Amino acid sequence: MLVENTLPILLSRLDFAWITSMHILWTPLTIGVSWILFGLEVAWLRSGDERWYRLERFFEKIFIVNFGAGVATGVTMEMAFGILYGPFSQAAGPFFGNILGFETITAFMYEAGFIGLMIFGWNKIGKGMHLFATFNVALASSLSAYWILVANSWMQTPNGVVLKDGIFQVTNWWHAIFNDNAIWGFPHMWMATMILGFFVLASVSAWYVLKNRHADLFIKMLKPTVLALLICTPIQIWLGDSLGTDVAHSEPTSLAAMEGHYHTYLPNGSVNTGWHLIAIPNAQNDGNVFAITIPHVLSLLETHTLNGKVTGLDQFAPEDRPDVWVPFYAFRVMVAIGFFLFFMALWGTSLILRGKFTAAELRRRPWFLRLMVFSGFLPYLAIWTGWWTREVGRQPWVVYGLMRTYEGVSHMGIGQEIAWFAGYIAFELSVWAGAWYFFSKIIRKGPDLDSPLPGAHAPNEAAEAGGGLATPSFAKPVLRHER
Amino acid sequence: MLGLEHVATTLTTWWWLLLSLIFLFYIGLDGADLGAGVFALFSPDEQERGAIMASMAGIWDGNETWLVVAGGVLFGAFPLVYGSAFNYLMIPLMIALWGIISRAVAFEFHVHATGSKKFWGRAFAFGSFLAPFGAGLALGATLQGFPMKAGPAMAAHSPGLFVDSPVPHFSGTALSFLTPFSVFTGFGAVIAAGLAGGLYLCARFEPGDEINRKAQKWTTLFSYLALATIVVTLIWSYSIFPWAAAKWTGANWWVWVIWLLVILAFAYKSMMAHAMQRDFVALLWGEGVVALMWFAMWATMYPYIVPDTWTIAQAANPADSIAVFTLFMTGFVPVMILYNWYQIWVFRGRYTKKAMYSSH
Repeated sequence: MLVENTLPILLSRLDFAWITSMHILWTPLTIGVSWILFGLEVAWLRSGDERWYRLERFFEKIFIVNFGAGVATGVTMEMAFGILYGPFSQAAGPFFGNILGFETITAFMYEAGFIGLMIFGWNKIGKGMHLFATFNVALASSLSAYWILVANSWMQTPNGVVLKDGIFQVTNWWHAIFNDNAIWGFPHMWMATMILGFFVLASVSAWYVLKNRHADLFIKMLKPTVLALLICTPIQIWLGDSLGTDVAHSEPTSLAAMEGHYHTYLPNGSVNTGWHLIAIPNAQNDGNVFAITIPHVLSLLETHTLNGKVTGLDQFAPEDRPDVWVPFYAFRVMVAIGFFLFFMALWGTSLILRGKFTAAELRRRPWFLRLMVFSGFLPYLAIWTGWWTREVGRQPWVVYGLMRTYEGVSHMGIGQEIAWFAGYIAFELSVWAGAWYFFSKIIRKGPDLDSPLPGAHAPNEAAEAGGGLATPSFAKPVLRHER
Repeated sequence: MLGLEHVATTLTTWWWLLLSLIFLFYIGLDGADLGAGVFALFSPDEQERGAIMASMAGIWDGNETWLVVAGGVLFGAFPLVYGSAFNYLMIPLMIALWGIISRAVAFEFHVHATGSKKFWGRAFAFGSFLAPFGAGLALGATLQGFPMKAGPAMAAHSPGLFVDSPVPHFSGTALSFLTPFSVFTGFGAVIAAGLAGGLYLCARFEPGDEINRKAQKWTTLFSYLALATIVVTLIWSYSIFPWAAAKWTGANWWVWVIWLLVILAFAYKSMMAHAMQRDFVALLWGEGVVALMWFAMWATMYPYIVPDTWTIAQAANPADSIAVFTLFMTGFVPVMILYNWYQIWVFRGRYTKKAMYSSH
């Protein structure tokens, strides 16, 4: 335990960790699913196949509940930097604040400006305009992820700045924005959102096939989803590996903590190349009490050579070392999930190749469907553990190598910190419970297959502009084959 | 010669103006939504609350996000203020954020709920009350200013480990914000929102519809409450804020008198339009009052961002950062206004309680 980790500092970290963890439960699904909804809308408009439209409208219901939860927890995030980490916000403002400002203006608001049209605009705007709204929501949410990852990556690898008069002044915007960690960090996170989106929708679809409800409709969804995952999951493993080698040289304490790698050299003087499957770090944080070790694997992973040197924690002063428990095990959980999801994609693809991917055949293999339903939860855990690895691995720094976490903490009393924590536990657990309850309710109810398609005259007057009392008088942009 | 520093101050002033505008969009647009939520606190049934929520289903998120944009602009252009003022305002912001959370999820949950419909309806209404109350509390507290000190913010907890920094941090206590004045502005904000919400509901629902009828009475009551609140706020501010008193009674006193007369004229027009049930016109005049009062407040505070605490020049970002922020972000402001306007326009028109609820 570090001397500087006194109770108020730890509490401030817990306060922030809690709201971040509860926010990252929602936004990745919004990002991933928004692109999938866009894909479904394009498929419907191009093929004219009504089933794509039904699927889109059904998944859209889950999407909007998730979106509401994301907004609810996201507004807090925007304020929380200043509330909980005021001195950090002041010092990092000239770069970090700019980037957060970019995010609210070019992404957060951009998304909000089209989400209403996307969800409630059916029948009020033309099909082309609606497709445009869906596209903008998808692009905006990905842009948001981009800016947030730039900001967070910069905290890992603060390139392009100097610390002068107590604040970080930008000397090179390109280096700061395209900092080392962001190059791989953003693609890795973005791919995680796509994989989460695909697996959650695959999970829901598999459940319907398993229960034999609308089985053919959801097979139509499941099949391309499995094929998309066959592309996404191996790319994600490669991106993760690339990020890892980058962290190994740009943020060596974090990598060493992730791998429980204390000793750069073995007692006999040769390079320590061993990778620990399991390790129990000792209380002094200077070695492992117990470890199952495989030689050469660590060097292979981080340097892509058999005996390459990987810097261990012994190269750093004890007060500069992060805690090992969290990064070590969180990282392993994430990696295990990554490979399991790749396996699921392979299994599904082999079923497709063997022509077994029909509702009847799949129900004869219920374990594929059951594991697919279960797989919808795993990417959430992978995202959580990945983020915890990243954040705990950076400690004791808030800006790696330049500003220590305790220097960035706001002026707060313990009572304030506990009030924040208790309040957000209550509010965000309610949001979580509520959202998942309504997900299950929407799923139990199933897709609506009867309401008229947009463009057909709606018998429900309220579905029209202004409750049927005002008709948009502007020329609607429509696709050619609409009528 | 105009040095770099001078350019930076000019650009910072530009962002001070834009910040005022963005806050105004938030107050003007979401204020009405929040006020309609306060109105829903007194709704007798879920059908009415549901209809009120449905009437803003397509636009509430965009309206609320102006607050996030204001936060982002504050962080981007004035990080020194953002990092100290939000620390000071922790509890008021917490109250407002919990209100916003309750409201945001209630919008999505209420539609799907069966057994818990009442719970989420209440969460929407109560959240709509908490948000302006917390925001008003924060505004009043900001006008009072706050104590700052250079050096480590949490020094007491990690002695001897700190690097010296000349940046001043907030140094008061958790309850520094709490005064009779800030509590009063908290309720004042709820009253102002209540008036905006009443005007909105009158304009949103068909004349003769139940909600419209109730909102007419509500609006009349709240317009008197709001007038009383304005008078009390002005007198109270005059007596406790020397910077405000000095400006209002200084050489340019006649500007403030004219401004006040214009505000009163707008308020009169709004009340007359309301009495004649020209509801949308009444809403616009009412929003005009909000805008004029808001700009008057910012003009009174100039050159401070936080009175007696941060001036625009002290709070300025390094020249390079403010230049980059200006170059890349200014152009997006009209774009944001444009697509928000389009979204609101698509969802325009009058509704009835029944039709709105059934389509919900």
